[in-house]
Order: sequence, then C-alpha cells, then structure tokens
Amino acid sequence: MADEEEDRRLMGLVAAGDDDALRLLVHRHHTRLIGYLRSEVGSQATAEELAMEVFIRLHRAAGRWRPEAKLSTYLIHIARNLVLNEWRRRSRKPTSALESAPEPGDAAPESGRRVVELEEAFSRAVAQLPEEQRTAILLLVQQEMPYEEIASAMGCPVSSVKTWIHRARARLKELMRDFYGPES
Amino acid sequence: MERRPAEHFDRDLEAALVRGRAMPVPGFAGRVVTAVRADRLRRAVIRWGSGLSAAACLVAALMLDAPSEEALIVEARSLVAAEESAQFHELLSLADDLALLQPVIERPALIEDLADGGS
Repeated sequence: MADEEEDRRLMGLVAAGDDDALRLLVHRHHTRLIGYLRSEVGSQATAEELAMEVFIRLHRAAGRWRPEAKLSTYLIHIARNLVLNEWRRRSRKPTSALESAPEPGDAAPESGRRVVELEEAFSRAVAQLPEEQRTAILLLVQQEMPYEEIASAMGCPVSSVKTWIHRARARLKELMRDFYGPES
Repeated sequence: MERRPAEHFDRDLEAALVRGRAMPVPGFAGRVVTAVRADRLRRAVIRWGSGLSAAACLVAALMLDAPSEEALIVEARSLVAAEESAQFHELLSLADDLALLQPVIERPALIEDLADGGS
C-alpha cells in the first residue's frame, strides 16, 4: 500500500512537470516492465524501446490519470497495447525469446549449463503460447499480479484469465515433456 | 539431460520467468526523461503549426532580445492564449488536426529562421 501511495504522489508531481519525480517513477518500475516486454517480444532492444514509449505515454496522460488501478497495472495495460501494435506492424508473432536468452558460458559448471538450458527451453515454450495465454501466465508468474489485476490490465473478465492460465500451464507441460518425468 | 521430477515444473517455470524480470537497465530513467523532454518540445512545436501560432511566434521573435527556441515557445504560447478565440480557431480549423502532420512539421524551418533572424 505504501508503494501505491508513493506512486500516486509521484504521478501528481509528474503531472505538474517534475522531471525528477518522473525519473524516480521510471527507476521504480522499469525493471519489471522491461522484463515483461522482453518476455513478450523476445528482444532486449525492442523491449527498451517499447518501455520508453510506455513512459512517454504515461507522462502525456499524467494530468488525466486517476488512481483507480495500481500504476503497475496501468503500465502493463499500456505496454500490452504497444506489444499488440508491434506485432501488427511486424505482421508476425515473435518466434522465440532466444534473442534475449543468456548464452551458456564456457566456464559455467555443468549444473549451471543445465539450468540455462532449462530456462531457454521455458523461454521457447512460453513464446509458442497463444498471445492471451502467454500474457496471462507472464503477468501471473513473472509479474506476480493477482487475477483481478491481470483482468484489468488485459481488459477481460477474471474467468477468461483463469482459463488462459489453465491452458497455458497444460500447453507448457506438453511442450516441456522431454525435461520432466511422469507426474506421480 | 536427466529428466526432472514433475513436481519441480511450477518452481522451474517461475525461476525461468522471474530471472528475466530482475535486470535493471543502467541509465534508463535518464534516457526516459530526455525522451519526455523532447516529446514535450515536439508537441509544443506542433501546436505552432496553426496560422495563429505562426503569427504569435513572429511577434514573440520580435519581442524577445534573444529568442531561443524555449523562450519563443513560452512567449508565443502566452500570446496565443491571449488572442485565441473559438471563432478564430474555427476559421483556421487547423488546431489538433495538425497532429496528423507531425512527421513533416517537426521543427519547421519557420521557427528556426525566426530564431536565427532574431539573434
């Protein structure tokens, strides 16, 4: 709650043209926002460009912004619209998140390489999900957002979010079946 | 690769996704502030696209001793605010539609000429 109050305070200052408040706001939110965008578009550079545009749009809207939802939810809402626009512009979906995936280091121990391999496999699997399923699972697991906030960010009912997440988990298990033993 | 217990699936998924979340980008906040300032200036310049704004800009350039771009914007906007009327706006019918021309009227030559001519 203290975080939300601080966001509101900073947004008030941003609306009044305070660039230091904007800098602070960006500092508070950019890491998770860029992480989400990179998972969506599969490229660090594109994720940073889109995050920049998110904050420019936030600044333009600062005077009209009302704290009906958490600022982080509002940012994700703007970000998702930009992602959808980006895909329309490219006229294709991102093929995989490999572009941003860490490369296995030569000096990495065997266990470290296995972890990296597993993470890359998860990135590829997540990239193969249908758009709504991928966004919903990213917002739930990576952004730790509750169902209600995911629904708000995606502009859909909570029941749809639950369905997408259920299907996403099932599809991911199927795509990752080579990595896991049978369920007991 | 040795197969992992199925019970580890959720934990591994979370670890793989969360790992990508926690990567701060040094200098990003500063880049955003720079971009926002440029956006603010660009939108102010776009508003100068109307005949009224151009006239105000000309007057402002004559009024100011050293018409920097920022000073021109402030003075011209204040003149526009003083002279603006709904009738005049309607007559010119340019106002917000000029936003469509954003790519071609960014930093119009008129403004640069005025700024150069007054200095």
